[in-house]
Amino acid sequence: MAAGLAALLSGCLGPGPMPMQGLNRSLAEQGSQGEPSLSGRWLALIANRQGRDRVELVDVERQRPVPLPGLNRPDALPLSVSVSADGSRLAVVRQREGRTELVLHRRTVMSSEPIRMEPEGVPRRATLRADGREIAVEVSRGGLVQVDLIAVP
Amino acid sequence: MGRQADRQDPALSGNGQWLASLVEREGTPAVLLQEQPSGRRIPLPQLRGLTPHRSPSLSWNGRYLALLVQQGPRRLAVVEDRARGRLHRLQLPAGLELERLSLAPDGRRLAVAAVAQGRSQVRLFDLSGFLEPDLPPAWAVRGAPAVSGEAP
Repeated sequence: MAAGLAALLSGCLGPGPMPMQGLNRSLAEQGSQGEPSLSGRWLALIANRQGRDRVELVDVERQRPVPLPGLNRPDALPLSVSVSADGSRLAVVRQREGRTELVLHRRTVMSSEPIRMEPEGVPRRATLRADGREIAVEVSRGGLVQVDLIAVP
Repeated sequence: MGRQADRQDPALSGNGQWLASLVEREGTPAVLLQEQPSGRRIPLPQLRGLTPHRSPSLSWNGRYLALLVQQGPRRLAVVEDRARGRLHRLQLPAGLELERLSLAPDGRRLAVAAVAQGRSQVRLFDLSGFLEPDLPPAWAVRGAPAVSGEAP
């Protein structure tokens, strides 16, 4: 069985992933990062800057960061981020004032709108559909971890 | 009735037709792929024996399912091509302790978060050399020419 598995895997090697050297070098110079979300030409991630975690957005084709006015707050700690393919929307799970909340940030209006869990629950991770019209949310609710699908206008 | 299983780490295809998430199977997280809205489960036989699974990510039409799997002591990034029934094992640089991944909806790029030398870092890889793109349906072209006999 192990031999079969190895053959299955090794039979599909071929050309491998090519590191995007310039961008990777630039990211490496900027401290620690995690929680990547790649969609269209956009990479969203959580980066640690001077001891604080913040959401950042990178234009992969231009290889440069894009400002996110209205999203990062000094009283909020982001836990998870996801970006739509056109880069206009980001779904962020963050801790703020002792609570964990899900917000949808619209770059066009530079504002973040909280999204309530119905029934009540604690969001833990969120993934935005590439077209930005739906969010899949991992929610802790009554001792159970569930997935909610939430349509967004 | 038994307790309902936890379900974690959801990922949607770009067209919303497919939902991947992690469920406990014999105490180990394993990916569950379902068609929406029916909830029909799609078998993923090529991923058996490679649990625990982590960090699923789907392409636009759900053709590609990328995730982290465990093979013995090693955590690997793989992409299942559901159209061809093939499992691509991604050869990433040695020394990376893979934590999460994200596949671009068109399947052309992959982002991984990995710990190397004690520091977590995000790296991008170009997959266009071996994955065909998985694109959304074409948009209708505006301004179509008039049919013969119609006024322009």
